[in-house]
Amino acid sequence: MVFWGEAYLSALLRYGVFDTSERYVGRLDDIVVDPQARFPEVTHIAVRPKGSRETVLYPWSAVRSASQEGIRLQPNASGSSAEPAEQVIHLRRDLMDRQIVDTSGKRVVRVHDLKLGGVGGKVLLTHADIGWRGVLRRMGWEHFALGMCRTFRVKFGERLIAWEHLHAPQTEDRLIADQTREALRRIHPADLADIAEELSAPDRAAFLEGLDEDIAADAMQEMDPVALVAAVNELDDEHASELIDEMDPDAGADLLADLSEERANKLLELMEPKEAQELRHLLTYAEDSAGGLMTCDHVTVPRGITVQAAVSHIRERFSEVETVYYVYVVDDDDLLCGVLTLRDLIVAGPDGLVDDLMAANVVSATTDMGQVDIARLIARYNLLALPVVDAGGHLRGIVTADDAIDAVIPTSVKKRIPKVFAR
Amino acid sequence: MRLLRRMGRWRFIAALAIFGPGFITANVDNDAGGIATYSLAGGNFGYAHLWALIPIGILLYVIQEMSGRLGAVTGKGLADLIRERFGLRLTFWLMIGLLFTNLANTMGEFAGIASASEIFGISRYIALPIAAALVWFIVTRGTYSTVEKVFLVACIVYVAYPVSGTMALLANPDSAPTWGNLVPRWSSQPGYAMMLVGIVGTTIAPWMQFYQQAAVADKGLTAQDKRAVRADVLVGCIGALIVVFAIVVTCAATIHHEGLRVKSVGDAAQALFPLAGANCARLFALGLLNASLFAASILPLATAYQVAEGMGWERGVDRTFREAPEFYTTYGALIAIGAGLLLIPGAPLLAIMYLSQVLNGVLLPVVLVFMLLLINNRAVMGEHTNSRIGNVVAGLSAVAVSCLVVFLAVSALRGELGS
Repeated sequence: MVFWGEAYLSALLRYGVFDTSERYVGRLDDIVVDPQARFPEVTHIAVRPKGSRETVLYPWSAVRSASQEGIRLQPNASGSSAEPAEQVIHLRRDLMDRQIVDTSGKRVVRVHDLKLGGVGGKVLLTHADIGWRGVLRRMGWEHFALGMCRTFRVKFGERLIAWEHLHAPQTEDRLIADQTREALRRIHPADLADIAEELSAPDRAAFLEGLDEDIAADAMQEMDPVALVAAVNELDDEHASELIDEMDPDAGADLLADLSEERANKLLELMEPKEAQELRHLLTYAEDSAGGLMTCDHVTVPRGITVQAAVSHIRERFSEVETVYYVYVVDDDDLLCGVLTLRDLIVAGPDGLVDDLMAANVVSATTDMGQVDIARLIARYNLLALPVVDAGGHLRGIVTADDAIDAVIPTSVKKRIPKVFAR
Repeated sequence: MRLLRRMGRWRFIAALAIFGPGFITANVDNDAGGIATYSLAGGNFGYAHLWALIPIGILLYVIQEMSGRLGAVTGKGLADLIRERFGLRLTFWLMIGLLFTNLANTMGEFAGIASASEIFGISRYIALPIAAALVWFIVTRGTYSTVEKVFLVACIVYVAYPVSGTMALLANPDSAPTWGNLVPRWSSQPGYAMMLVGIVGTTIAPWMQFYQQAAVADKGLTAQDKRAVRADVLVGCIGALIVVFAIVVTCAATIHHEGLRVKSVGDAAQALFPLAGANCARLFALGLLNASLFAASILPLATAYQVAEGMGWERGVDRTFREAPEFYTTYGALIAIGAGLLLIPGAPLLAIMYLSQVLNGVLLPVVLVFMLLLINNRAVMGEHTNSRIGNVVAGLSAVAVSCLVVFLAVSALRGELGS
């Protein structure tokens, strides 16, 4: 069929729909696109007959022409009230006036209008309008405003987001175009956390579910605890437990501690026994003590092995550990005997013993040490991480410098967020 | 899990019931306009409006509970929900209405600051610019959450009212209110209806619903916390109502009983005479100043935030001006205009405080209708839609307040509001 070059949804929604004999069928109520296609292509139009609450869907192929005089249907076009089988987006219902994620600007924006374009017989969703032009158009004042701007020779551009940067986490079935998923992967978890915090709790949960699991877990670690708890409360148990499993143990334990005990236990039961055991253990420590701050992710090597053996030991067992710079030497009972740095290992000859290289007088914290004391130790000895031992001197975990700093510097200073509503 | 960990959650809920959004909202509500309106009601009409406080209290609870529930279940602010459900046009006009009403309210707060400072002998031309600058910095520098606690503690000044009222009643037992004062009645006194709208408008101000819902959503409360939210709202409503009751009764037992009338802010201070004697004006000014500053630091910000939310502008004081120009412009304009207009010589401070509350009463039914439509929508609320009783109470009130407002408009047109 013949189609206009480009059009706005707000304008289209004022159109009447007519059949071949020029009889009024109804008003255009919504436009349906298929987001799974390579480009978001219009597949149906939803028409609301006069006096009816239900809308009728006509496939796009049933549209003969569309112009300002209205939309004309093909002869013998038939509508149906059933939703199409494939997952679709209703532009007005799901996107218009909604808050969506702009993956290029890394922020949450509100959609004032949607722009459609005709390309080779197909009609595609091309842009979302998030600027003043969209607002004025919806109010019916765009024409006037543009006239004024022309008179005073002021430029009044549109603020558009291309469709491939749109992400609407709240839409049913949470459809995400491959391009969007790709764009989300490129955003730093800290920025994802900021985006998530701006969404409402149910949308925030949906947003996290839409991310790859490891990325979601990283983002969750960066989120404000209050916002995070609200989101996790909206997630179903399985998904929540998987995400917490994926988080660093110390952050995961902090999150679990903020949930209700009942929910926390339910989530722990869904996890792998080993991980759950570790989290349960971390949960026994007070939040602001070394035990509560520490992570179990650290590198240890047994006493008495050679440098070469130590390096392959690390390669085999600790390839996923984040803080690798300090290598702790422990005996069979996990008693902390000494520490050496990764540099020591690399620089030393392969046949040297770790016992000869290590520093035996390790600066360490006990599990009940307070956060201020930990931060002081780390600052005093210029450490990247501080080992935590229990009363018997057994190595339990490490507190990394960034976690220790987080604990001492108030959140408001750290993120410079004087929030509108005090938390 | 160890007890200490569990304490965290428990303490959070407990603190919520005491210092939650509901409590803060209800307290901020006893602002300059509130104190002025209640003083006028008690001082000029005696106990004639006392009966209305009970239905108003019930209504306040029903409405604030609804807004708390909307916030907890959807995690969204009211402006956000209205925009998503009713589209841009309706939202736009509602936001315009909210903007102007809240501008009037902001003026009311600054009028309170001006009145209080003049009692201390400081010219408003000095006090207002300082107050405006103070408000801007408290909020944009992020010290607000600390300052809020100072304001809340300072609310203890309100205790002066029940104490002073009791002293007055002990001195003149015949001036005490009777149970008969709680029986609904109507009076044809000039200005009675307008005062009633004013009391409704100041006790149940439209911005409160927006503010509370956003605060509940922002605190990350969800449908599971419905009970805590309810408790918080209940405590806040009872606290607010006690203050209102105390002010009205005290003013009636003192000012009205002695045959005086409230024509200026200084007259209203006479209610505290039995307690503070010659110092009553200073005590009154202190309470008024605290209430006004408290509300003046929340109201313009909350307004800018809500309008930005409805219109989809970037918002929040953690943004720079370049990132959120509309937000900061709205916020700055509210403060600048709110304080600036009062610098016009001879601006009638008491009338401004009072009339801003009447405007609230006019906007309230509109907001109520939106709230009722939203809270009964299954697509929005799921299983947490309104009960029938809630609908009846809120619906009837919307109708009653609308009738009052229409009555008021008609009277105004007939020029009966000369007094």
